[in-house]
Amino acid sequence: MTSLVPHVVNGLTLGLLFALIALGFTLIVGVMEVINLAHGSLFTLGAYLALSTIGAGWFSGTPFGIWWLDLPMASRYFIGLALGPVLAGAAGMLLELCLRPTYGKAPLYGLLLTFGAAIVVEEAIRLIWGTGEQNMPVPQMISGAFLMGGLIFSTYKFYAAGFAIVAILMVWLFLERTPYGAIIKAGAHDSEMVRALGYDLARLRLIVFGFGSALAGIAGMVMAPIWGLRPHLGIDVVIPAFLIIVIGGVGSFWGAVAAALLVGMATGITGAYAPAWSLMSMYILLIAIVGFRARGLLGRRSALEN
Amino acid sequence: MAQSKISRRRLLTTAAAATGGMAFMGPWMHTRVYAQATAKPIRIGITSDASGQYANSGAEDRRGMMMAIAEANAKGGVLGRKIETFHLDTETTPATGSRVAERMITRENCGFLVGAIHSGVANAISQVAQKYGVIYLNTNSSAPSEAGQNCHRVKFVFDANGSNFAKAAVQASIEKFGKKWVLLTNDYVWGHSTAAATKALLKQFGGEMIEEILVPQGTRDFSSQLLKIQQLKPGAVAAAIGGDDQKAMRQQIAQLGMGDKTAWINNQQDWPDVYGLPLDNLFGVFGTTWYYNLDLPGVADFVKRYKTMFPDTAIKVPGNVFYNGYWAVRELLGAIERAGSTNNIKVIKALEGHKMPARDRMQHHDAWIDPVTHQVQQSIYLATANVGTKDPDDMFKILGNTSPQEALDPDASGACKLESYESTPTFDA
Amino acid sequence: MITLSDIPARGGTPFTLPMALFVAILATAPFWLQWVGLYQYLGVEIAIWILFAMGFNLLFGYTGLHSFGHGAYLGIGAYGFGLFQHGVAVSLWGGLLAAILAATVAGAIVGAFLSHRRGIYYALLTIGFGQVFWFTAMKLHWLTGGEDGLLNIPRPDLVIGPWRVNLNDNAAFYWFVAGITAVAVVLMWRVVNAPVGRILQAIRQNETRARFVGYDVWRWKWLAFTVSAAFAGLAGGLFAMAQQSAYPDVMSLHQSGVIVMMVLVGGGLVSFWGPVLGVILYFIARDVLGGLTEAWLLWYGLIFVVMVMVRPEGLAGLIHTMARRAPPAVAPAAKPETV
Repeated sequence: MTSLVPHVVNGLTLGLLFALIALGFTLIVGVMEVINLAHGSLFTLGAYLALSTIGAGWFSGTPFGIWWLDLPMASRYFIGLALGPVLAGAAGMLLELCLRPTYGKAPLYGLLLTFGAAIVVEEAIRLIWGTGEQNMPVPQMISGAFLMGGLIFSTYKFYAAGFAIVAILMVWLFLERTPYGAIIKAGAHDSEMVRALGYDLARLRLIVFGFGSALAGIAGMVMAPIWGLRPHLGIDVVIPAFLIIVIGGVGSFWGAVAAALLVGMATGITGAYAPAWSLMSMYILLIAIVGFRARGLLGRRSALEN
Repeated sequence: MAQSKISRRRLLTTAAAATGGMAFMGPWMHTRVYAQATAKPIRIGITSDASGQYANSGAEDRRGMMMAIAEANAKGGVLGRKIETFHLDTETTPATGSRVAERMITRENCGFLVGAIHSGVANAISQVAQKYGVIYLNTNSSAPSEAGQNCHRVKFVFDANGSNFAKAAVQASIEKFGKKWVLLTNDYVWGHSTAAATKALLKQFGGEMIEEILVPQGTRDFSSQLLKIQQLKPGAVAAAIGGDDQKAMRQQIAQLGMGDKTAWINNQQDWPDVYGLPLDNLFGVFGTTWYYNLDLPGVADFVKRYKTMFPDTAIKVPGNVFYNGYWAVRELLGAIERAGSTNNIKVIKALEGHKMPARDRMQHHDAWIDPVTHQVQQSIYLATANVGTKDPDDMFKILGNTSPQEALDPDASGACKLESYESTPTFDA
Repeated sequence: MITLSDIPARGGTPFTLPMALFVAILATAPFWLQWVGLYQYLGVEIAIWILFAMGFNLLFGYTGLHSFGHGAYLGIGAYGFGLFQHGVAVSLWGGLLAAILAATVAGAIVGAFLSHRRGIYYALLTIGFGQVFWFTAMKLHWLTGGEDGLLNIPRPDLVIGPWRVNLNDNAAFYWFVAGITAVAVVLMWRVVNAPVGRILQAIRQNETRARFVGYDVWRWKWLAFTVSAAFAGLAGGLFAMAQQSAYPDVMSLHQSGVIVMMVLVGGGLVSFWGPVLGVILYFIARDVLGGLTEAWLLWYGLIFVVMVMVRPEGLAGLIHTMARRAPPAVAPAAKPETV
């Protein structure tokens, strides 16, 4: 049975990475009840923006660019890690402005608009950065591999999983422990009340969407060194994110995290013992859980079910 | 691709003028009438992917064709006719491939179709092409089934396939790395047919498969498979992982530094897929049909022509995908010249069994177009990462080459049943 | 914003002016397609997708159930047709029946899972099931040919009594498809203008109220899904004939999104004929823009986003509004008919 242990460890890391991928998506679905199909495209966009920041893509050749490239890789990397998601967040805010006419209508319109936006963003990436595979560099200190029980594990992946834990906790603290989070959550459930209390609901939505998109961007930046970076990466993201939400239950933060860990464990362990089924395991999990629990693991009744 | 842009208005008028009142008589009629006009250009439909998984390779494929066409046009065309092109995106989607092929043949008067990376798209196009009798060149799809059970009289396959690469690599690797092998196989048609070739060779040369790990298509995380490989401790791992899966996998192998700890036997590495990436992405041994730094006459000039024609391309030197695209069109035009006609059957007969001297093709061995399977049988090169190089373009170190006779897939001729000449509709471009 | 329910139902004969126009355009297409710069095969695809989109709109526009994974049933129909030809017998009607049957069974099973759900969960689950079918089609490559598809599907001859028509010619095949599409559309027209159509629309407007009024909402929702899957299956069978192959790609999330896109852009939410406009617009836009620029999807995506923002009722809604704004013609009292 000792051979199982590394696969469990690996499954957990995988699960945390899945949670990171789904974080922005679950925030937007849970708080705003918009299924953001552009999540994957924003994920990819965030990674590309970070890549251009690190490699001085926009300003190479200028004196600033030369100075910039002289900086150590690690500092450029962490600035990229901050800047890429911020810019992806800005793109998300733009998308939120476009979404405004759809509020108050069936959830379908939001879904459709983001579907269109996903296509537009992906095509724009193709035009700007080209169709080829790009390589996202990783600073020395978090790259490489280490040995555990005689097996090689990726250092970067463990950092990424640790980062995912931090991101999950930060989002949770933001939602639960700040007055801002309380307003956002109230806004989702009773917008009349929030408006009556004098809060600017439009701005709140803008911020939530921007935040969710920035989380997508961060996830993109973190995942790009593992998955590689290409314009059509988005679809690889939307589908797991989406399955995780359905399994976890719409609107449930911890439901999504639990679902992500389950999906990670399922793919990790089937990957070792029944590899042909490793991707199918997500779908089997979906059918098994939704078949018994209509709203997923911890889902609550959604306002938009009516 | 300025050459391929044709204004819709002009097309409308030419199509209308050509068809006149007989629009209703089926698609063949007007093309045939059209063909009798003197010095009408030869129209080639370029069916390469511009979006989807293989967009990048599709663009490189197309550049190869465009260079061959530009060179032919500079010499005055073929049979005194200029060559025109029309390109449509096949979107790496078979259903789109069918529609694009129908449009190119019936609406754009394309006499020949060229281009493919994805075997599904190549199949879809070749089915339509066979229905009309239009010659179709599969430039870069390396599925063994293309020259096996899915072969067609009108289709010619210019890339070497998974079986050829396996033949080139397996025997030598058993001698070098030992008999215990693990197969890492993408769980779809291409992966299985390539793995089948490897298994047969393992059996033949005394190797042993200790496990086959199936990898579902769309896998993005290979950590559990890689852990499993470490636990199994094989002598060598034969990987048949394609497309985006492969891109994700090699990234993760590079991160783990497993590239040189395990003996990896890979299939073909397409140049546009690896160009510009760090060298540790190129792990193990892999195959290619051509490399820009081969020490053969003509190669340097070929590279120079590429650089002159595409100075702004991100890929600075041509690779195997470009090479196949280029030679497919060159051989097609050569066959038209030899046939003295654009009649499809005559051109097909000029292509079948055609010998291509090594010197012309800039490879080590003479190549030929197999008359039974319609696949180009050519030299296979085994390569590995060129560690320590100063030149960022010079990524491969060529380890050796295998002659087409040695790399020949013995099962292909049994699997391929070409349609007879009689049942292939006559078509004149 | 107007909705389908603002358009009065009409009992009786389906032979209205728009229907006549639709049938006339469908029937004469081969005579003028090439003259306007299109080609026969595009006509075949458009006719098939009209059938698919109209069937989809029974669920989407009329019942208000937002399926986002409907491509799966088109794909199942295509495989059903192909596997029947390969495994049972080369038969036109047998294949099409198999296609309908396969999609109906799949639709009935999925519908049973779905019909308790509402709103966002309904959409989410349709995506989920669509993905399961897509993934299964890729995985069972011994049956479906995997990503290479099920190839060499024949187009069996059409035999009516003493006549035998070879459908390998695209023009002949077009008429066959157009005939089936026309019959199906007349059938659908009857359904939506019958009391059943009213019940479906009541469910769309307010499911809870419909339940209180006494309708067995679950059963109607299930029925709407199953019937719409059956039409998708028929379209899929025809699609397999058109392509002479069946591929998993049509089952992907992207393709399922595209059909929703078409129906919405055309105005399926406000008009019976909306999907027709949407399908025609999509295919022609793709064909024309695709020949001009490789980034055609960017432009189409932008148009679509703007459309959802400012004109969610689509083309048909636009026409409807314009018709209403126009000065009243001969009969000012007449209510607008099914546009």
